[in-house]
Amino acid sequence: MTPVTILLVQSAYVRGKIEIVQRSRILGPLGIVWLGITLGVIAYATKLALFVAPTEATMGNVQRIFYYHVPTSMLSLLFPYVNFAASLCYLYWRRRDPLKALTADAVAISSAEVTVVYSTICLATGMLWGRAAWGIWWTWDARLTSMLLLWLLYVSYLMLRKLSSTGQTHTLAAVLSVFAAIDVPIVYMSIQWWRTQHPAPVFGGGADSGIDPSMKPAFWMNVLGWAMWGIFIMILRYALERRRQESEQEAALQAIEASLEIAK
Amino acid sequence: MKLAWMFGSSLGAHHLLWAYLAVWLIQGGYAVWIGSQWMRSKKDSRAGVGFDSETEDS
Repeated sequence: MTPVTILLVQSAYVRGKIEIVQRSRILGPLGIVWLGITLGVIAYATKLALFVAPTEATMGNVQRIFYYHVPTSMLSLLFPYVNFAASLCYLYWRRRDPLKALTADAVAISSAEVTVVYSTICLATGMLWGRAAWGIWWTWDARLTSMLLLWLLYVSYLMLRKLSSTGQTHTLAAVLSVFAAIDVPIVYMSIQWWRTQHPAPVFGGGADSGIDPSMKPAFWMNVLGWAMWGIFIMILRYALERRRQESEQEAALQAIEASLEIAK
Repeated sequence: MKLAWMFGSSLGAHHLLWAYLAVWLIQGGYAVWIGSQWMRSKKDSRAGVGFDSETEDS
């Protein structure tokens, strides 16, 4: 049981917000349907990327990494904002409404883990592409470095939550996530602000940017598929965290009631 | 065979294959980890004591 849970539960206990609730299932009928559609979309998107999209003239088949690399990179810059919003909610509610704060905290940790998963994929596929296209695994240019920094920030966020056992851990993690979110626009704008080895943005990068129209179905289908998958695993992780919280709440409640019995 | 280029001996073919495998392994591994954590949790499926933030203050 973490100290922060005890503090929040004590606060909720004093406010009288105790009720019997039904525990949620990890995967309801809607979740199973969502998972089925998601896997279908990913399978179709992979088929488009590997077999339907034309072979790029300069790089050849290795360019097909693009269909996984770019969508997961885009999503690795979106999930941090979920973490950012949830962390702000946690900081706002932690004294006003501890139970809402616990919900926000569960959203924060689930989105942070999904961010690490997607940014790890972004870095791994980028390095594999870089070695084949540029002849090097890594270069310290602005886009790669800022993306690595983003990954390190969210890994440190998770390590802080895992290893720290003070009553302020969740608050410190929420503050860290606010600072980590600052790196997201820096990663996005890095290839416009600095001269980098990384290619120009595919969309919104000016007259010379963009991809051939025949490549767009494979690209957007992968964006859709991996976005649906990201939402799915984030909700799955959220359900797991809520179950852990319920377990800790029960233990904390029993401890509070036992201490009240002793006091009598 | 359509997959022949993926399993060819060129650097690009190897890296394309590894990139796709890396994505599936990382995503699948994370999903399996969540599932295993869920199964390890000792909670039963019955209703238990919890908290509801919608409850009015007493």
